[in-house]
Amino acid sequence: MPAPDDAQMVFAARRTLAAAARGLAAYHANACVKCGLCGQSCHVFLAEPQPENLPAAKAGEVIRFYRRYHTLLGKLLPALVGARDLTPQALNQLVEAVYGRCTGCGRCGLHCSIGLDVASVIRAGRQILAAVGKVPDGLQRTVNNQLETGNQMAIPRDEFISTAEWLSEDLQLETGRKDAVIPVDQPNRRVLYLVNPREVKFFPLSLSAAAGVFTAAGESWTLSSKIYDVTNYGFFSGDDAAAGELVRRVVEEAQALGVQEIILGECGHGFRAFRWEGPNWTRQAYPLPVRSVLELLDEYFAAGRIRVDPAKNPERVTLHDPCNLVRWGGVSEPQRRVLGRCCANFAEMHPNRHNNYCCGGGGGMLSMSEFGQRRVASGQLKAEQIRRTGAKIVATPCHNCADQLLEINKHYKLGVEIKTVVELVYGALVWP
Amino acid sequence: MQVDGKEIEFDKEGFMLDPNLWDDNVAAAIAREEGVEQMSDQHWSIVNYIRNHWKQHDLAPSVRMICKECGVSVRDVYKLFTSGPARGACRIAGLPKPDGCV
Repeated sequence: MPAPDDAQMVFAARRTLAAAARGLAAYHANACVKCGLCGQSCHVFLAEPQPENLPAAKAGEVIRFYRRYHTLLGKLLPALVGARDLTPQALNQLVEAVYGRCTGCGRCGLHCSIGLDVASVIRAGRQILAAVGKVPDGLQRTVNNQLETGNQMAIPRDEFISTAEWLSEDLQLETGRKDAVIPVDQPNRRVLYLVNPREVKFFPLSLSAAAGVFTAAGESWTLSSKIYDVTNYGFFSGDDAAAGELVRRVVEEAQALGVQEIILGECGHGFRAFRWEGPNWTRQAYPLPVRSVLELLDEYFAAGRIRVDPAKNPERVTLHDPCNLVRWGGVSEPQRRVLGRCCANFAEMHPNRHNNYCCGGGGGMLSMSEFGQRRVASGQLKAEQIRRTGAKIVATPCHNCADQLLEINKHYKLGVEIKTVVELVYGALVWP
Repeated sequence: MQVDGKEIEFDKEGFMLDPNLWDDNVAAAIAREEGVEQMSDQHWSIVNYIRNHWKQHDLAPSVRMICKECGVSVRDVYKLFTSGPARGACRIAGLPKPDGCV
């Protein structure tokens, strides 16, 4: 995108602000009573208790613009109500508040004394910056990779296919079953499975594990070599057009392959984006069900389609709840039922479920190196939570969280292993 | 970080800002930060392969290619580089941080 001149930029920013404000309801944009309670709920503020890290202050940076153009007092006496003109300089200053100090985890909204959806105000700020081309480079590159190559890591298609073949060979050796394969581009299967490209490129054991479990359950499934990316970085960057396009491609591919259901691999924001936000972006209801693989695993157990021996996972296991899957996405119990069956020694961390703390790596933070130090610092709370459980393994149904947890593990010397849920299920399988 | 009198600068994730300053001693110094006190032949073979692949293709190789070219298993890679292929091996090989969820 060519750099817009200042007038164009301000026009685009104001238009996006107006649209975002309509979507938010004015209440969220202009009702904060500045009680400051939100600070105690925020992992960034608790790690670095500076005024700029207070959720109300971060949202306030967006709300100043709303006030300037959408409230009577802000239009007449902007200085009196802290309203601010949308200028190129003011937009530059917004970047750190909405991308660098907030992961959009939404815990502050849960604890807000008057129920403001702070994270959605922050995302409105991201929408404004995305509209004027001010998304941080690393995050924007990841969105571009997705739009241009179909996956966030720009993995070439033949490399994806070779990886699926290579993993299939290993899986057959490991399980001794000829039917244990990773099917690619097979038409008319029941399930289209989406994965995080991180699995394909760097951490393939979770993909092999899923293939092993699907084999044991007798599932009819396939990956698509064109569209397999469960992530949606347009959701993080605030670019709804890109986010909607990624959703549309998945639905089209599912229809082209003739599957009956889309199953989302373990990814927090991917679940929220595809399960809940997608139809808002595309303005179309899905023609087929979209569920998390956790729900599918839970169903396998309920139906007796797979059997496990928890003694194969004897170490203490705790569970990290990805914010976008649990607090925002409403999936909290299937993973607990599944781990309860697969692990001999399961211990919750506290707080948990909808009230969990963000690991610090959410909101696209892992792709923005410039905020790396704050990201690791803000993982301190999670490190303490994990340490208190005495667990040797931290399960998390999200590859983005997994990467942050790997780094927290090293930085805070926790000495734990990080695994996805499906890896623990695979490890406990009793083959029929 | 000072290596052989050269000042090596890193981004906030610990990836080299100027990959041209990379050499074996710099790699060994980053490796020590990663908890690898002494780079073994296997470490070097993986790091050099990643480095050469990146120079040719401007892209980090996948773990499949690393395993195939260097004759190691996936689990070996995680044992050799406890931060994984991206934040461990690619960082030691002096690459910029790979894009996306890593």
